[in-house]
Amino acid sequence: MIRLLPLFVGILFLAVWELSVRWLQVPVFVLPPPSLIAKAFADNLPLLMSALWVTVQMTLAAFLASFIGGLALAILFSQSRLIERSLLPYAIVLQVTPIVSIAPLIIIWVGFDHVERAVFILATIVAFFPILSNASLGLRSVDPGLSDLFRLYRASRWQRLFLLQLPSALPALLAGARISGGLALIGSVVAEFVAGSGEATGLAWRIAESGQRLEIPRMFAGLLLLSLTGLALNFAVARVEHMLLRRWHPAHGEGAR
Amino acid sequence: MLTIAGISKYYPSGLKALDAVELRIPDGSFTSIVGPSGCGKSTLLRMIAGLDVPTAGAILGRPEGEIGLVFQDATLMPWADVEANVYLPLRLAGVTRGDAAPRIAESLALVGLSDFAHAYPRALSGGMKMRVAIARALVTRPRLLLMDEPFAALDEITRNRLNDDLLLLWREQGFSVVFITHSVFESVYLSTDIAVMTPRPGRVMAAHKIGGPPVRDASFRASAAYLDGCRAVSHDLEQALKVRP
Repeated sequence: MIRLLPLFVGILFLAVWELSVRWLQVPVFVLPPPSLIAKAFADNLPLLMSALWVTVQMTLAAFLASFIGGLALAILFSQSRLIERSLLPYAIVLQVTPIVSIAPLIIIWVGFDHVERAVFILATIVAFFPILSNASLGLRSVDPGLSDLFRLYRASRWQRLFLLQLPSALPALLAGARISGGLALIGSVVAEFVAGSGEATGLAWRIAESGQRLEIPRMFAGLLLLSLTGLALNFAVARVEHMLLRRWHPAHGEGAR
Repeated sequence: MLTIAGISKYYPSGLKALDAVELRIPDGSFTSIVGPSGCGKSTLLRMIAGLDVPTAGAILGRPEGEIGLVFQDATLMPWADVEANVYLPLRLAGVTRGDAAPRIAESLALVGLSDFAHAYPRALSGGMKMRVAIARALVTRPRLLLMDEPFAALDEITRNRLNDDLLLLWREQGFSVVFITHSVFESVYLSTDIAVMTPRPGRVMAAHKIGGPPVRDASFRASAAYLDGCRAVSHDLEQALKVRP
């Protein structure tokens, strides 16, 4: 019963929305009723789906690249304090610089006819930092007793990394991955918006385009699809997290959540 | 014979943790180090294990091969099952899983956990976790087992059982034990030798030999040897607490 509660709230919300828009005669280009959005969704399904596919591909590619890159850099940092000290400030600079402001520059660099590359690079930059910082934190937060034990048994650098540091880092790394997955999508969308017309054919561009043409129901349909994508991504990473941690991690045991 | 020869540990802050500690630990003995918290007994143990370096002095006559180490906390890898935890020391030494299997099984049998090889630490009680830690320390067949207040966090019933099981292992396997505790009763029950340490800076104030039967059990707790030992060690510990640097 409790599980169905959000559904009831959703239905109630849609009903109130539909009725009040009709009652108050709100113009469609300001706020279309849900029924019209559903119709726009159905009518534009092939277009929206192909646009979604472009955005999803970009998001997944950026997510994967930031995961591998962030983890690799975190491992490098964990191996050498010197490298960490020299590179970390620049990673932070990249993180705190608003992505929208570097987007035009990246687009110029990769060329206007390769907007998808710019989108990929921008989304990767945005998604990269949570992986780097969480993996770094995880690699450092090793049980000191276990660390002593590895020293006692003269573990090599690699044994320490693979048998102690990486497993210790796994929960933090996966929490970072969940944030990063969402950011990869946000990065893709923002980059598409900034890139504007031309080569960009992703969902974000379709939404922007619909807005410019005042095709508000289609805009809402695109937004809905974007939310669902974000939700699906979050759910997928959470599933992986649960699968990897459920046997040993206190927050993922039988009975936990 | 393991000889601790004039070990001192000073920290840059000026803190003297240990001051010229002298101690002889005969092969095959069960030696307890008793002292108040902050007397540097854990630091001393870490130095015997080679995890910490003394400012002065030396530790002589460390046995060949691996040293076993057990902490107050079981410090198991939560992501690995019992078997993989016990395998760790051999794995780090490059022994393959196949070659290690009989040794792991033997070690688990010694602590009575053969049926729990595939359990994860999360599913085990405090006492069982400690048994896993002991099995892990014994899997390399060490000649020396170092234990830093291993049973301090356990309830008394579990602690007494583990004490008896540890004595049995010690008798059968013939390794030496250096055992840190702040319980006078536990130290007298277990040990052949007891060293009492003063608080900061840690010094060995007195050394005792505990007599009694070769096989100790609950009846030993009522014997004259046990009561004499407790009285003597308690007295020294009280004196140790009066020592002011």
